[in-house]
Amino acid sequence: MPRQVSSLHHETPTTAEPNMDSLIVANIRQRPLRTAISIIGVALGVILVVLFVGLARGMMRDSTDRQANVDAEVRFFPGGELSFSANPLRLSARYADAIMKGVQPTAEDPDVKPKPPVAGVAVATPVGEWIQSGVGAIGFELVDGIDYSSFIEATQLHIVEGRGLDDGRSDRDNEAIVDGYYAEHNTGDDGQPVKVGSRIKALGHEFTVVGIYAPSLLARIKIPLYTMQQLFGGAENCSFLMIKCDRPELAEQVKATIQQYYPGNHVLLTSEIPSLYGQSFRAVDIFLDVVIGLALVISTLVILLGMYTTIIERTREIGILKSLGASKSFIVMAIEKEAALISALGIGFGFLVAIAGKFLIEHNTRLKIDLQPRWLLIAALIGFLGGVIGALYPAMRAANLDPVEAISYE
Amino acid sequence: MSSDQMKDVLETIDLKMVYHVGKVDVAALRGVNVQIREGEYVAIMGPSGCGKSTFLHIVGGMLQPTSGRVRIDGEDITEMSDAERTDVRRRKIGFVFQRFNLFPTLSADGNLKLAERIHSKNGEGDAARRREVLRLLRLEDKMHHKPLELSGGEQQRVAIARAIVTRPAILLADEPTGNLDTENSQVVLDMLRNLNREFGQTIVMITHNPEAAKLTDRIIEMRDGHVVEARIQAEGIKR
Repeated sequence: MPRQVSSLHHETPTTAEPNMDSLIVANIRQRPLRTAISIIGVALGVILVVLFVGLARGMMRDSTDRQANVDAEVRFFPGGELSFSANPLRLSARYADAIMKGVQPTAEDPDVKPKPPVAGVAVATPVGEWIQSGVGAIGFELVDGIDYSSFIEATQLHIVEGRGLDDGRSDRDNEAIVDGYYAEHNTGDDGQPVKVGSRIKALGHEFTVVGIYAPSLLARIKIPLYTMQQLFGGAENCSFLMIKCDRPELAEQVKATIQQYYPGNHVLLTSEIPSLYGQSFRAVDIFLDVVIGLALVISTLVILLGMYTTIIERTREIGILKSLGASKSFIVMAIEKEAALISALGIGFGFLVAIAGKFLIEHNTRLKIDLQPRWLLIAALIGFLGGVIGALYPAMRAANLDPVEAISYE
Repeated sequence: MSSDQMKDVLETIDLKMVYHVGKVDVAALRGVNVQIREGEYVAIMGPSGCGKSTFLHIVGGMLQPTSGRVRIDGEDITEMSDAERTDVRRRKIGFVFQRFNLFPTLSADGNLKLAERIHSKNGEGDAARRREVLRLLRLEDKMHHKPLELSGGEQQRVAIARAIVTRPAILLADEPTGNLDTENSQVVLDMLRNLNREFGQTIVMITHNPEAAKLTDRIIEMRDGHVVEARIQAEGIKR
């Protein structure tokens, strides 16, 4: 009577080492170049999402934060299309006087309808805002033209080093004040970090930094409104007015009165601006959706092509699995696990590059990038989903291979 | 138990297989009737193209015949879906191929573990059994070697170990010595014979080698898709 093979031992079966996982890791290591390309492909999608979303969110948050440090409760914009990012100087700066002191007919303009001062207004200050390209032509940045004396009454701005601006009408060189962030992250014409006395370039002209201010609000560079007006045509215009009320609770009343006295313009509460700011970034949101879709497509295609080629090369091995009795689901899972591992490596690599990119961009430009956990998670999900979806077709194809043809594949 | 009392572990009834090559039908099997008993060691011989490999692939559940029946350990696999046949292959069949067909990225032990993993479905393996099987095939010192670090004979022994580690009802070997030199061929053939005699492993082996066939209990001769002769060897079942 022959011995049974099963009688070779009497030990209780133990849990196997994760051998399919060993096969997956071995396969990945066997084709390092293709694995690297697949990892980079997934990472590219992750980097796209993390950096683009981070950049958009970072810039929006920065802008919103800088709006929040303005005490003035009411904002007065010229009629027509409302824009927060940059307004040409098309609002007469005399509106500030009109709101504060009222309007009376004059010899020059005898037909003007008289209007009383707007009740409840403590100060109205005109602000010019002009856009210029950012450092190294990356992105853009704003420059404010301000009436310094009234501006400091309407905001929390205070000088932490040096002095404030004059009215810009003196014979002195063009003057500017900058916030602490600007001073820390930029160099003057001498290549040294910006400090009081440094010369910087703004709006195509040389300016001497006469003061560093805090907190950050609106644009980081501020020059006298008069100087800005002279640089851009000489009209006594501004971009908008900031109006501080005697008491914050008067804001609604002041807004209504200004709308009544000066119809055809936009009057907003400062508290409304962040949400309106967000609305004005809808186009950015659409762009971000496109970026996310693109990232998903890139990850999917890279994994699909990588795994498809791998499956063709490994046809014989799939035949061996089938000869061993591996089910279709086993084969699909093996390939999906491999894709998931490549995706995980791509996600990790993508995060590393994105973090390095954030550091480099923020160090070399004035752009801000927010790496929020929520978006990191979304980026990881996109990378992972792209990998899993991309591997699905090659996996199904492998699972449905004819076992005899597969095992005979040369 | 006498050979008469042993049950049939493999039975084919009027097995036919026709390949469609373009507009031409090529009959590979023309009504093959074979019975193989538990514990038998059978050689299938015949010239190239006589249908040996087709027969082996069909009884191994890797190919669906055009008509006829195949019973493996009492289960009619011709009535089954592809998934069910795969399951029978997983539970009851072990394959050994001429080209070894080991996973090049896995060690000898890794190849066995993969077979166990597929066989058990739930990830259970048995390290002691793997060691014992590798010892039986004189590979205990090669457990952690990858196929490329092994000789051809050693690779084929690993393939045999992989095939039997899951205790299949039938071991199907397709020219297992076809890629080996005489010395290694003899080692492999001795091991197959030992597996059969010592442990009662049912083996069906395709071979062109008359010396290899001599070591089996029975030789089935095929020609043009038919079984033309089935003879029990003088040295036949000696158990």
